[in-house]
Amino acid sequence: MNYLRTSPLHDAFNTLQPAWDESHGMHTASRVGGGDAAIETLALADLSCLPKSGLKGPAAAQWLVAQGVPVPPEANTWTALPDDGVIARLGRSEFFLEDGAAGGMATRTRIALGTGTAGVYPVIRQDAGILLAGERSNELLAQTCNVNFAEIDPERRVAVMTQMIGVGVIVIRTHLRKLPCYRIWCDPTFAQYFWETLSGIATELGGGVIGTETLLK
Amino acid sequence: MSNRLPPVAGEWIDRAVRIDFQFEAEPLHGLAGDTITSALSASAVKAIGRSFKYHRLRGVLSLANHDVNALLQDGPELNVRGDVAPLRNGMRLASVNTFGGVRYDRARILDKFAKLLPVGFYYKAFHTPRALFPFWERVFRRLTGLGALDFSTPHIRTPKRYDFCEVLVIGAGPSGLSAALAAADAGAEVVIVDENARIGGSLGYQRGGLEASAGALRELADRILLHPNISVRTGTFAAGYYADHWVPLVDIKRMTKMRARAVIVASGVFEQPAVFHNNDLPGVMLASAAQRLIYRYAVKPIQSAVVLTANEDGYVAALDLLANGVKVEAVVDLRNATDSSDAATRLEQAGVRIHRGKGIYEARAKGDGVGAAVICPLRADGVLDDEQQQTILCDGILMSVGYAPAAALLYQAGAAMRFDETVQQFLPQTLPEGVLAAGRVNGVYALDDRILDGRRAGNEAATMLGYMAPAALPVARAAISPSHPYPVFDHPAAKNFVDFDEDLQLKDFFNAAQEGFDNIELLKRYTTVGMGPSQGKHSNMNAIRILAKILGRAPGEVGSTTSRPFFHPVAMSHLAGRGFHPLRLSPLHSRHEKDGAVFMQAGVWLRPEYYRQRGKLKQEIVREETMAVRKSVGIIDVGTLGKMEISGPDAAAFLERLYTGRFANLKVSMTRYALMLDESGVIIDDGVVARLGEERFYFTTTTTGSANVYREMTRLNTMWGMKVGIVNATGAYAAMNLAGPRSRDVLAGLTNLELADDAFPYLAVREAEVAGVPARLMRVGFVGELGYEIHVPADGACAVWDALTQAGRVNGIRPFGVEAQRLLRLEKGHIIIGQDTDGLTTPFDASSEWAVKMDKPYFIGQRSLKIIQRKTPRTKLVGFMLDAMGENEAPKECHLVISDGNIAGRVTSIAFSPSLERHVGLAFVAPELAAEGGRFFIRADGGRMVQAAVAKIPFYDPAGQRQKEAKDSQAA
Repeated sequence: MNYLRTSPLHDAFNTLQPAWDESHGMHTASRVGGGDAAIETLALADLSCLPKSGLKGPAAAQWLVAQGVPVPPEANTWTALPDDGVIARLGRSEFFLEDGAAGGMATRTRIALGTGTAGVYPVIRQDAGILLAGERSNELLAQTCNVNFAEIDPERRVAVMTQMIGVGVIVIRTHLRKLPCYRIWCDPTFAQYFWETLSGIATELGGGVIGTETLLK
Repeated sequence: MSNRLPPVAGEWIDRAVRIDFQFEAEPLHGLAGDTITSALSASAVKAIGRSFKYHRLRGVLSLANHDVNALLQDGPELNVRGDVAPLRNGMRLASVNTFGGVRYDRARILDKFAKLLPVGFYYKAFHTPRALFPFWERVFRRLTGLGALDFSTPHIRTPKRYDFCEVLVIGAGPSGLSAALAAADAGAEVVIVDENARIGGSLGYQRGGLEASAGALRELADRILLHPNISVRTGTFAAGYYADHWVPLVDIKRMTKMRARAVIVASGVFEQPAVFHNNDLPGVMLASAAQRLIYRYAVKPIQSAVVLTANEDGYVAALDLLANGVKVEAVVDLRNATDSSDAATRLEQAGVRIHRGKGIYEARAKGDGVGAAVICPLRADGVLDDEQQQTILCDGILMSVGYAPAAALLYQAGAAMRFDETVQQFLPQTLPEGVLAAGRVNGVYALDDRILDGRRAGNEAATMLGYMAPAALPVARAAISPSHPYPVFDHPAAKNFVDFDEDLQLKDFFNAAQEGFDNIELLKRYTTVGMGPSQGKHSNMNAIRILAKILGRAPGEVGSTTSRPFFHPVAMSHLAGRGFHPLRLSPLHSRHEKDGAVFMQAGVWLRPEYYRQRGKLKQEIVREETMAVRKSVGIIDVGTLGKMEISGPDAAAFLERLYTGRFANLKVSMTRYALMLDESGVIIDDGVVARLGEERFYFTTTTTGSANVYREMTRLNTMWGMKVGIVNATGAYAAMNLAGPRSRDVLAGLTNLELADDAFPYLAVREAEVAGVPARLMRVGFVGELGYEIHVPADGACAVWDALTQAGRVNGIRPFGVEAQRLLRLEKGHIIIGQDTDGLTTPFDASSEWAVKMDKPYFIGQRSLKIIQRKTPRTKLVGFMLDAMGENEAPKECHLVISDGNIAGRVTSIAFSPSLERHVGLAFVAPELAAEGGRFFIRADGGRMVQAAVAKIPFYDPAGQRQKEAKDSQAA
């Protein structure tokens, strides 16, 4: 790979005139307008730059264990990767991995799997990766999704596969500076519609868009 | 004159806050907490609207939004429901449906012609002379409709939201409140909604002149409002019921889609009017309306009253009137009971005359409203004896003759309802799981019983959810019916209204039945009963009783009409709100925008139709884009194609079963066209399958078919249990087609891949880097030139596109859009699924037999094709050419093929080919017209017949040399 990756949300950020930076081989909006003040209320950020990988098949879990990757024991749950990042179990035999700012396990897994092995098939992941955080996160989700995220206990580490505003998404709930925080992934071709709709609602709710500067440190 | 009463315990108004407004240009004022109708009543305005058809004056009827007498317009906001809409400062209100204002409405003359305008007259008139129809249409469009639409009204944004609770209680009357408390006490999280501004329901206004019920309500309200498990939403109505306990809750700002684990419907009842002559005069109102005016808004509804009743509630209402300064001239009881209730005794002690076994024959008008009530004895056959009339002077008539359950949500939830003769009401017989009914909607009427019934429902709901709650004991339903079985009285002068929205009189129902519309659903359509804005809340029950009487059946045998959401009308702004319409954009969208693309919708995608050029028309541009591909090189974004991966030991076998072609013998690094059928042998999709390895395939589907194909593959694999992994990579890969004789030159500088024909032949697939991005390249020829379909990860799409367009600049590379691509493929005779096929097209019809391997053991649709194969063909897709003609003279897609004056097919694709300088196309024709060289006619615009000649396809480069051999192509 020898190219500068483009985020599926690149065009949506262009109008905000952000400070651009390069992160994980992708042009990334590192700082937008008033910094990350919105995070207390409601903030959206583009984390699509974080490398992702996917795999599925009857032997996928076994293969991951052999690679030293922690495997969520139950379907539709997630767990943290040891060197930063997450792995989500999407159903019985499909997995989604994303590196954190520092980690590389998702990338290593993708390379190790190559074109697949017996009972393990690679799944190309080019999802738009979005962070939603702040006290009013649940209000935004209530306007856009019919899943009751407010009742999800972050400690249960549930990976929700559902639809938001008509788009298939994976959602997990975490914390960010003790605030409610969600990671959302969706098909990159829906990303612009998805982002514009969510950021419009976020603005109405007193929030806004932030850059990745502090999130990826 | 003001009808405002001294302070009343529990009143909803704030006497310290005056609200100024206008009604019909007259300045008036009310108080904070007033509704529009209560403020008008306080200001002694009796006539607040005109009826829909006869333009009769109308006043307060239900004061509950169960009729549309009080339908008003406030500036651009139309059809404001005065009964429930809060009064606001500065409102400029006018009645809807008037010509010159409510008092002097010029259309009131229509009332004089009522005999000429019976129900359904419009079905029988105005057909002839036909030339006059536009005139009548204009007249009726002007006469009908409620409110005047102002197209400059600003868009009001009303966001929707989802919400969740364990128990949703609908209705905050006595039974709803006790249900909420019981469920919440057991530990459930409860939301209780009520359409009124405050909780309490009838407990707040059916007092019988006593303060006890107000005190009981205060106590109940305090418990509710302080309960940590209960959330109260007033001014909110449950507009419908959808599966899995989804209930849209509508308030003034938004619609909330509430998902509950259990729903308790404690929605109560609608009080029903009696049907007698002039029962619509202002001053004739439901007893509950008068009680609401008194106790909620401290308004004296009338000065002197006659109360028509058939239940105890009428006596209670008369006591409420007396206690608040209204003279009760008489109580007229349709029943002939001899026992005196406590309320009756109290009335008699107060000197009120009670007429038992009598009914109201007619209301007589005086000024804008009622001047007197004429009463007659009620005979045993239910008819009033008009020989014995007695006139009682009064300015108002209260009706308390019965109720209809507010059971719309129960019906929508799938409850089985039956008509109970004792209660004279449709009652829930069996309820769906998680849905409960309580209170009067459940046939329980006594106040104490309603509270018990609510508690039962609350406990049942809590138990259902796993909470510990006391055992729920059933509560007795009403032993004496609160509803009269037939409070309907004929009159020679008619004007005895059943449906106040639609001005339907009693005789209209007899006429409908006589015409044969004697089923409740047919009766509804013919008469339009229940089809007005109040959706039958005050009219459906009487309509059922009337039809039952006509047919000599019980109301239960007649049944009720279907109840559909929404239960109350919901403002269009709430429905429009923020729309969520998913839109897919290619990763290259910004590049297309930069290049001046004109976008078109393709399913949920936006695709470039063509690329704008200053000073040029679309047609010219499309031809230029086409010729760029034919002569040099063009590039098109084909990333909207579905992209699938299938891997595993059974991958080839799976494709053999999925597609009509053969894939087990497809060599690694080669591609093949693939056609997909459904079980009936109809073409549903197509694409190209590339074999990347022995057990790895990558293939495309149509743009709109990808989701369905993936879903179907997943379903089939669940069924077949084959060893494969299926991945829908549609969004993850971008794709572009670099096509034209110079395409190899452009690509060569960006990849290390050997591109020569022998190394990378036609129909081969290769994996290599292009501009540093890992790519899959396929040499396919959809547009009929040397070309490379390049698939790359979405995040690398811009890098590749930029590199290709930069490298192609020297060759004059042009991006081309869908229009040019359609033309290019048409010249090659390639079909587009969905355009050149329809829901009946088999491969035999589409001349695609070559793609079907009938000798395979199995593929989807094969069995059907074997049957179809034995039948006589019904149609054939053929290529055709036209003689030279202008663009405007040529037929268009979907124009019909005509043979011997009959329809013999249709054009599916047609365009002017700049390469051939002729119009070429594809058409379905009758098989006998399909012979090459044969001619047929197409009926073009204006009925012109255009002759076409069947031509062999491909029209362009029939040998296919250009896409196969680059060397020859480059010589073009």
